[in-house]
Parts: sequence; C-alpha cells; structure tokens
Amino acid sequence: MSRFDRKLFRPGGAVKPEEREWPSIRGAINEAMREEMRRDPTVFQMGEDIAGAPPFGVTTGLAAEFGLERVRDTPCSEVAVVGAAVGAALGGMRPIVEFQFGDFLSVAIDQLTHQAALLRYLTGGQVRVPLVIRLPCGGGQGTGAQHAQSLYSWFAHAPGIKVALPATSLDAKGLMKAAIRDDNPVLFFEHKALYRTRWPVPPEFQDPDHVIPFGRAAIRRAGDDLTVVATLTMVHHALAAAEALAAEGISVEVVDPRTLVPLDRETIVGSVRKTGRLLAVDEAYLTCGIQGEILALVTERAFGALKAPPRRLGNPGVPVPFAPPLEDAVLPDAGRIAAAIRAMVTP
Amino acid sequence: MRTEIGLLRTMLLIRRLEAAWAEAYARDEIGGIPPALSTGQEAVSAGACAALEPGDVVFTTHRGQAPQVARGLDPTRIMAELYGRRTGYNKGKSYHVTDVSRGVIGMGGIVAAQVPVAAGMALAQKLRGTDRVSLVFFGDGAANEGAVHESANLAAMWTLPLILLCENNGYCISQPVAVAVKAASIADRAAAYGLPGALVDGNDPLAVRDAVAAAVARARAGGGTTLVEARTVRLGGHLAHDPQHYRSREEIAAAWEACPIKRFRARLAAAGLLTEEASARMEAEIEAEIAAAVEFARQSPVPEPREAFEDLWA
Repeated sequence: MSRFDRKLFRPGGAVKPEEREWPSIRGAINEAMREEMRRDPTVFQMGEDIAGAPPFGVTTGLAAEFGLERVRDTPCSEVAVVGAAVGAALGGMRPIVEFQFGDFLSVAIDQLTHQAALLRYLTGGQVRVPLVIRLPCGGGQGTGAQHAQSLYSWFAHAPGIKVALPATSLDAKGLMKAAIRDDNPVLFFEHKALYRTRWPVPPEFQDPDHVIPFGRAAIRRAGDDLTVVATLTMVHHALAAAEALAAEGISVEVVDPRTLVPLDRETIVGSVRKTGRLLAVDEAYLTCGIQGEILALVTERAFGALKAPPRRLGNPGVPVPFAPPLEDAVLPDAGRIAAAIRAMVTP
Repeated sequence: MRTEIGLLRTMLLIRRLEAAWAEAYARDEIGGIPPALSTGQEAVSAGACAALEPGDVVFTTHRGQAPQVARGLDPTRIMAELYGRRTGYNKGKSYHVTDVSRGVIGMGGIVAAQVPVAAGMALAQKLRGTDRVSLVFFGDGAANEGAVHESANLAAMWTLPLILLCENNGYCISQPVAVAVKAASIADRAAAYGLPGALVDGNDPLAVRDAVAAAVARARAGGGTTLVEARTVRLGGHLAHDPQHYRSREEIAAAWEACPIKRFRARLAAAGLLTEEASARMEAEIEAEIAAAVEFARQSPVPEPREAFEDLWA
C-alpha cells in the first residue's frame, strides 16, 4: 500500500526505468491539444503564462509551434478571459482556457455558470458555446486551501456544463480531444498530483482521432464484493486498496466515471447490482458532493441489490490545510479506503 | 435606417413597441419580471446601430429591446418572445431577445456580463481575419463592475475591434450616477485603459451615430477599441412597475422636456425634412405594425412543457 502513498505523486521523484516509455498525463494533455490545434484552426488557447512560462508545463511548446495569436498569454483577468472564451465560442472559435489553479474559477463563476452554460438554452438553441476550461485541482501537495480543492461538484450541480476528470494518460488524451470537439462548455479537471505520473498506453494512444467519448465509465478492476466509485488520484488509491484487500480475500471492483456530466449511470448501477455494496470516494467536500450524488443514484435505482448501507469518503468539510500532516488528515487515501471496505464487507 | 427620417422611425418604433409591452404587462396579459423599458433612451440604440453593418454583432443589456428594433429585428417575433410564446426569437426561453442572423446577442440577466463576452466575439472577428466589429451596450451602473474594467483592459491590450458603449441614463435602479461614480465622466476612464474615449449627447441620434461611426471605422481599420459614453435620461422607472419615488416630479418633468423623440422630430421639422402629414403617416404605420405584432403574439401558442427540456445541450 505504500506504493500509493500520496507523497509519491509529489514532484521531483525519479522516473522508474520501466515507466520511461510511458506518457505522462501532462504530456498526454499537451499532445491532445497540439493535435487538435493542427487539425482545427479555430482551436486556440488563453491563459496566464501559458506561452511564456507554463506553470505546470502543460502548454509547453505550443506557443513555439502555433504562435502567440493562438497561444495567448492573458492578463490576470479571469472574468474577462472566461467571458472572452464565451464570446469567441459564439463567434465560431474553439477556445481552451487554462487556469493556473482550478480554485480560481470562483473568480469567474458567473461567466461560466450563467453565460457559457446558459446562453444556448436562453437563446432557444440559436448558439453553441464550445469551450474548454482546464483546471489544475486537488490536494496532497501542500499548495494550501485556495490552491488544492476539488470543486467539480459545484459545476456538476449547475446545468449546461460538462465535467471531465482524467485519471490515466490514455484518458487524459482521449478525453481532452472529446472536450475540444464538443460543442458545449467543458470543465477539464487535471489533478496536480497526477501531472507527472506515467501510465502504460495501448497503440491507439498514437491515433490522432482516438477520442474517449464522455459518459462512459471505465471499470479499472473487476471484483465481486464491493464497488468503489472514484475519480482522479482516488482511482489509484482505490486500486492500491483493492490490491491489498485481494490478499485478504476481498474482491473489489473499481469504477472510474471519467466524466461526471454526463455520468455513466448504467455502469455504476450495474456494478453495484453485481457486488451489492457501494463506496464512493473523492477529494471533494462531502456535503452536497459528488459522492452523495452517486449514493443517491444507487439507492434510487438499485436499493434492493444493496447488502450494506452505501458509504462515502471525502473531505469532511474543512479547508485543505497547508502543512502535510494536516492535509493528510482531511483527504482519503488507500489506507482509509481499505478500512472502509473491510468494515462494509465484514458481517 | 441611416437617414434622419429612418432614425426617427426607429426611435418611434422602439417607443411604441415598448409601450405596447408595458400596457400588456399592466393588463396582466403577460406576467413575470416587469418590462425594462428604454423610454427616453431610444436615440442611443437608434444612433449606434445606424453605424453598424451586417456581420457586426451587438450585445444588449437588460434594457435590450431598443437595439433589437434598431438592428431590424421583426417586431412580431420580439413581441411574441415578450409574451412568452414559442414563436418568439428565443422560443419563450428569455426576454433578452437574440437573433444571431442579425447580429444581436441578448444578454442582460447579469449586469455587465455581456461586456467580456462581446470582447470575445471581437477577438473571434479578429482571429478569423474579418473586418467586422462588436458593440456592447452597458449602463452607468454596470460601468462599476469588474467585468467592464477587465474587459476594457483586455480589449486595449489585444487591439480588439470593439465599441464599449456606456448608455448612461443617470440611474442605477434608484441610485443616481452622481453617488456611484466619483469621476466627472465614465468616458474619462478610457485614458486609464489606454483607449480613446468619447462623451456624446445620448439624446441626439446623429451625435451618437457619428461618434459610434468613428469608433467603428477605427475598429475596422485595425485601430482597436473605443469607449463611448452616451448621456441620456431614463424617463420611466427601472422596470415598468417602478413608481420612482426617489425622483422629484420636477426632475421627471424636465427629463420629458428633453425627450429625444420630441426634440428630434422638432429638429427635422425645422429643417424641412418632416411635414406634419409625413409624421402622422409614419406614426399610423408604426401603430399598425405594433398592433399586428401584439395580435401575432396573442395568437401564438405558448411553449409545450416538454420544450423546457430542450435546447440545453448542443
């Protein structure tokens, strides 16, 4: 279980020899954007420092290839930049906006939830608003309470916004391509702790048209006793927990929804019908969080299949602290996931 | 509608269309949020839109019917929208009427939110290599929103083909502009953004037209954004039901004396451009046009409940 200690996601770790050929999530997102910008001249980028000094390196090299008209460094003006993305989308472009930290979207929330998300509806379907906002998110790196949240529940709650959460390099590339080609506003949450992680990929990773459609969950591990629904880093924590529990004779299925809007309800419900138990795990705040939505879904649709009360893990509702021991205290991890599963399957 | 007579006709059509809307609201024929009327402000939209061409895009405020009419939208479909009918431009989904084909994007649910979006449209117009421009209306109240400041700076930095048109009607609901803006004018803020600014008489359609035309010409030529402040006076309340207890009778009476339609009609008559007979004929035509629009709206079907679930996703 120590393999998935959150510290392993921290920057500076050496790349293991067997992982050298695997693409990183950061590289996969970069590659997806590069290919889409080559394919479609209407795709362009806006963000702070994205051309000159990309903060997490996700846009590295794009300004050199596509120039500063299409990879636009912006002033520190989140409202104007998100609004400009909305307007550019109305004008036939496909903007991609990077926020240095996803938390900062709170500054521009009106432009997203009331303008980008609603204009098609309000105009009776006259307009399309194809835009992608990239949001580095998540804790575990000591970035502090205003740089470490996982706020997708806010936006999954609002109508008109799609929400993608890639947990592997293949998904990062395929979901980003789907996001750029989508005619609706998409929030693309990128966990900071995953940027440098590398994952094996199948040959189709190289195919510039390999798109992972939204609304299709991935079953990361098959199992019979309990279903864990998890996203981003929690997918990997859940897989580590499942591996450890297999030695104890507990068979865990891990489902990664990959997108919260649209949500692959069928796969989640189908998995719980099979296993009879549900644990939803996320870094999101528990109150009104995405974990609760998944529990509600399952209790409405598969109550009769439940052998135990469903459970959820997440931030219980405190800011994500700065000091590592405090931060570790509020976020789920493989050990807590394993403990919760044991308690649920033990009669 | 670029001629003087055309401008007068546009202003009268705005006035009469909005009056019919307010009357329908007063009769309880339509419900919901009360009408936001441009009474007294018609010269701003008429003049500004006369300086635009097809392919240019305007972004409206909550007081948006004036630019809709001025850009030539069909009064029957505007009225149908205000009646919440499915034959309306937005199919009954919003009274901020939009007609993409005529370059009118109806916004205004959130004060100032249209300004950054207009900057983005201007960016698209520029990136796509066109010489089209965007014009965004916003009020004196909106001028104090961060969205306007951020957008003005961005538009200046990126030399966007944008006209920031501040329609200063003297009041932000009940708040006089003098207690919300310390500076002598909003146009003066242009200098701080590195933009040219112009202050014009918003009750003179020709002055507005000429100021906006200069800004449009500059934008088309790649010269970037201009901030135009058009000073006008709101004659009615913030919304149609507002009794305006915060304004004196004398103030309101004086404002009516400066009514832009009254003033412009007298000016055209004095210049020999408008006879009594022609004026009466124009009014009768507009009266008939609006009566037909109201009748069309009344006869139009309301949306089906299932339509509430349509048009969210592309």
